[in-house]
Amino acid sequence: MAQKYDVVIIGGGHNGLIHAAYLARAGKKVLVLERRHVLGGAAVTEEIYPGFQFSVCSYVVSLLRPEIIRDLDLPRHGLEILPLDGTFTPMPNGDYLWRMNDHGRMRREIRRHSITDAEAYEEFGQAMVHICRFVKPVLGMIPPDPAHPTFQDLKHAWFMLERFRALPDRDRYNLIQLMTMSATDFLDQWFETDVLKATMSASGIIGTFLGIRSPGTAYVLLHHYMGEIDGVFRAWGLPRGGTGGISNAIAEAAREAGAEIRTKSAIAKILVKDGRATGVVLENGDEIAANVVSSSVDPRLTFQKMLDEKDLPGDFVEEVKRYKFRGSSGKVNLALDGLPEFTCLPGVGRHLRGAMSISPSVDYMERAYDDAKYGNFSRRPYMDIVIPTLTDPSMAPPGKHVMSCFVQYAPYKLADGTWDEKREAFGDTVVDTISQYAPNLKSLILHRQVITPLDLEREWGLSEGNIFQGELSLEQLFFLRPVAGWARYRTPIRNLYMCGSATHPGGGIMGGPGRLAALEMLKDMGVRR
Amino acid sequence: MANAQHNVVIIGSGLNGLACAAALAGAGFKPLVLERRRVMGGRVAVEEFHPGFRCSAVFDAHAYCEQPVLVPMPDGRWMMVHGESGESADIATFSPKDAARFRAFLPVLRRIVAALAPALALTPPDIDHPAAGELWGLLKVGRGIRRLGEKDMFRLLRWGPMAAADLVAEWFEFEPLRAAVAAPGIYGTALGPWSAGSALGLLLHHAATQVPAGTAEQFLPQLKTAGVEIRTGAEVASVCVKEGRATGVVLASGEEISAWAVISGADPKRTLLGMVDPACLAPDFLLKLRNYRCAGTVAKVHLALDALPSIPLLDAAGRPARIHIGAEIDYLERAFDACKYGEFSQKPYLDVSFPSLHDSALAPAGKHVMSIHVQYAPYKLRNGDWNSRRDELADVVMKTLAAYMPDLAGRVLQRHVIAPCDLEQTYGLTGGHIFHGELALDQLFTMRPVLGWARYRTPIRGLYLCGAGTHPGIGAHGESGRNAAREILKDLRR
Repeated sequence: MAQKYDVVIIGGGHNGLIHAAYLARAGKKVLVLERRHVLGGAAVTEEIYPGFQFSVCSYVVSLLRPEIIRDLDLPRHGLEILPLDGTFTPMPNGDYLWRMNDHGRMRREIRRHSITDAEAYEEFGQAMVHICRFVKPVLGMIPPDPAHPTFQDLKHAWFMLERFRALPDRDRYNLIQLMTMSATDFLDQWFETDVLKATMSASGIIGTFLGIRSPGTAYVLLHHYMGEIDGVFRAWGLPRGGTGGISNAIAEAAREAGAEIRTKSAIAKILVKDGRATGVVLENGDEIAANVVSSSVDPRLTFQKMLDEKDLPGDFVEEVKRYKFRGSSGKVNLALDGLPEFTCLPGVGRHLRGAMSISPSVDYMERAYDDAKYGNFSRRPYMDIVIPTLTDPSMAPPGKHVMSCFVQYAPYKLADGTWDEKREAFGDTVVDTISQYAPNLKSLILHRQVITPLDLEREWGLSEGNIFQGELSLEQLFFLRPVAGWARYRTPIRNLYMCGSATHPGGGIMGGPGRLAALEMLKDMGVRR
Repeated sequence: MANAQHNVVIIGSGLNGLACAAALAGAGFKPLVLERRRVMGGRVAVEEFHPGFRCSAVFDAHAYCEQPVLVPMPDGRWMMVHGESGESADIATFSPKDAARFRAFLPVLRRIVAALAPALALTPPDIDHPAAGELWGLLKVGRGIRRLGEKDMFRLLRWGPMAAADLVAEWFEFEPLRAAVAAPGIYGTALGPWSAGSALGLLLHHAATQVPAGTAEQFLPQLKTAGVEIRTGAEVASVCVKEGRATGVVLASGEEISAWAVISGADPKRTLLGMVDPACLAPDFLLKLRNYRCAGTVAKVHLALDALPSIPLLDAAGRPARIHIGAEIDYLERAFDACKYGEFSQKPYLDVSFPSLHDSALAPAGKHVMSIHVQYAPYKLRNGDWNSRRDELADVVMKTLAAYMPDLAGRVLQRHVIAPCDLEQTYGLTGGHIFHGELALDQLFTMRPVLGWARYRTPIRGLYLCGAGTHPGIGAHGESGRNAAREILKDLRR
C-alpha cells in the first residue's frame, strides 16, 4: 500500500492515544490502530445493557498526569472529572468506617473507632504529601540505565540524592519504609484500628499478586496516593461519561493535532527488515508502512506475538518471557433497578456516592490472598465498589443505577477448572459477598457482567489479565520495567518503541508512559535529522 | 583515658560481643564483658539438655557452612543437593534439565554473592556527612557489582526485591529442588517464599556463608592473653546516663560499674528500651525503635538420640548433611500462612542437622544430637501461650519427621523445646527473633536498626550497639561486633 506514516501506534488505549497526541502535535504523521470497535483500551465506556453505560474495566481516575491534561488541553476536549466522595467500609459486626472528604467529619468518624488513630491520620496524611512531593518527579523522569549511565542519568541521580539529603529525617525514614515495606507493616506503625488498616492497605495490592503483608506493597500504596485532581492531593474522581470519557477526550485532542485513528484494525505482525521496524501488517492482510512503530500493548503481545523471536536477541526474549503478569483481579458490573441498602447504614446517603470497600479486617484481606496463592478465586474477596450514576446520572436511565465492583483476588491461573466454567460462580461469590452487607442487592440486579482475568486477556489484550500490563512489583519498576536495560521506551529493534503501561511509570490511568515515550522518540528523531 | 582497668563494658558474651571485645583488646583496651547467663555464647552457647548431650541454642557451629542438603519427598524418595560442589548427579535422576540449570545457577549465585559480601564488613555510611573512607568502601563494593557485568548486575537488582519462589521458578522446574534452594530465603524471617524480598534473604544467607560460623571458644585464647575479663551471671539492669552520656552500668545485683563506653551486644530494643531510662531518648527515636520489627517465627527442638535414624543418602553424602523438610514451595508457604494468623504451622518447615556428626564430643559415644530449626512458630500465639503449648509443637515436629524417618520416635531419649518465649526469656532475644530483628529491606544496612543510627552509635554518647540488630545482622560470625569495634575505636581514640 502506498500509505506511509511517520509513526504507527499499536493500540488505542489511553497511553497509545496520549502518545499519538504528543507526536502529532510535534508535526508527525501519526496513525493509531485499535483492535476493538471502541477506543480506550481498558479506559472504555460501553453500553453492555440497553440504556446503561459502564466503565467496563477501569472505573476511577486520579493519577492522570496534570501536565498531560494541560498540554493536551483535555477539558476543552470534553474531559470532566467529578470528585468521588470518600470511602465507606461496612463491617460484619454492624459497624462501619466511613472516611469522607469532609475533613472534620472524617476526623470525628475515625475518633469513633480510635482517638489516637484520628490524630495519627492527620500526621499520616501530611507525611504522605511530603513523600509524594519527593517521589512525583520520578514519575516524569526517563528511567536511567544503570549499566551505561549517561550524563543526564548521573545528573538525575545526583538531583535525587541531593533532594533525599535535603529531606528531614522523618521523611527519609518514611520514604525508605514505603519503598521497601509491606502495606500492613507500614500502617501498623501508625494505626491501631483493624478496619482502617485493612481498607488503607487495600490500595497496596491492587493489580499485584501480593498480599497486604508482603513487602513491596507499601510502594503500590504510595503509587495510589500520588494522584491529584485539580491540584488536590490523593483525590479520586469519576470521569463524566465513564473512563471512556477520558479516552475520547484524548482521542479528540490527538485528532485535532492531526493524528489518524482507526478502530477494528487488529495487527498481526510488526514488519522488521534488517533489525529495523518498517511497518505493520493488519490481520486482514493490509500492510501499513511507517518509519517508526510504537506499541502500547504489553511486551508479551509485542515481542512474542507480533514479532519473530529470531528478530530479537535471545537474552531479551528470555527476559520478556520472565516478565510477570499474573493478573489477580476481576470486575463485576451490575445494572441495578435501585440503590443497595447497607444494613449497617441504611438509606440512600452520601456513603453510596463514594467508594465502598469490602475490606473489613486485615485477616480478611490476607485470607482472600491465601485462596489466590493456591489457585482459587477468593471465597470472600476484597472489593472496591462505586455507583457512578449517583455522581453522573447520565450513565443510566432515570432511577436506575450502575454498580462497578473491582474484585481481588481472581488469579489468572486456576488450580482446577477454567475461567469459562467458573465465571458465573465467581459472579455469584461477588454478589453473595456484597449481599452480606447489603441484602437487597440481589433483588435489584437487572443485568450482571462478569469480567474474569481470562476475559481481560481475550477481549482487552491484557496478558494474563493484569490490569497494569505487568505487575507493579519492585523488581519490575523504573529502570527494570519491563526489561532491565530496556526501560527507556526503546527496544532491541530499531525504530520500534514501547509506550504502554508496561513501561515506566506504569499502570493506572496515568498517561506517563505514553507521554515519556513520545518525548524520547522525538529526541531520537531530532538527533537523526 | 585508657588508664582505668575497665574503661569499656560490653553487655553480652554472644559472638558479636566477643568479637567486639577481641577487636578492642587487640587495640590495647581491656573491656569487661558482662554475661547475664551462666554460660557464654548467647545464640551459639552450647549447653547440655540431657546428661551427656549438648547442643547450641540457635545456631550450630555449622549453620553457615556449605553442606549437602537432603530433601525427602512425600513419595518416600530422597534427593541430595550439593550447594558447594554443584555436583548434581542426584538431581539429574529427578530432572536432567534442572541438574544442568543447577550447575549454571551456582556460579551465577556465587558471583553475585561474592560482589555483595564485602558490604557486610562496611560501616553503613552517614547520609548527611559521609566520610571519605566510607565512600571509598562503598565505591569498591559498587565497582565489584559493576564488574559483574550487565547481566549479573541486573540480576542482583532484580533479585533483591523479588520473592524467592519467583527466583527459583525462573531457574528450576522440579518442585523439591525449588523449595530446597529457596528455603534459606525464609530462614528465620517472617516471610513466606511468595513474599517479596525473600530472594534478598537468600542472597544474604549465602553472603554470610562465605565466612565460617564462629564459636564462643574461638575468641577465648586471644581474650585471655589480652587479660579481658568475662563475668558470667552478671546481668545488667540498666545503663547509667548522665547529661546524655553513658557513664556505666548497674547490675541486677545492685553493683555499679562505671565505664567510659558501654557497648551492648543485646538487641536494640532490649538495650535502648529495656536498659535506658526513656527520658534520655527523644520521643521520635523511641517511636522508631518501637516500630523496629522483631517478632520471631522460629522455635528449636533438640533431640537426644540413642542412634541415628535411618536416613537414605546420609552416608552417600560423604560428610555431615542437613535435612530440609518442605519439598514444595506451597508447603513452605502454607507453613507461613499459619503464622500470619497467630498459629504455629501444623506442617512446619524444618531445617534439621546433626551437630554430633561434626563434633562427636556433643554426645556420648555412638549416640547423637539432632538439632531442629522449626518454622513457623510465631512469637505471639492467638490461642494459649507457649508455656502451655510447647509440647504440642514438639509433637507436630515429631509427627512431621516420622513421615520421613519412621524409626526416629523409637530412638529419642529426650526432647528439648526452645519456644519463642524461651528465646526471649532465656536468651534475651526480644520477640524471640534469632537475628535480633527482621532481615527485611527496610531494616538493613543504613536502616538497621533505625535510619540515622546505623553506625553502631546511639543517641546517647558513649553507648554503642554491636549485636545482630546492627549491620549486617546476618550470619553467626561476629561481623556486627567487628564493625562496631572499628567505629568505637575511632571514638575512643579521639
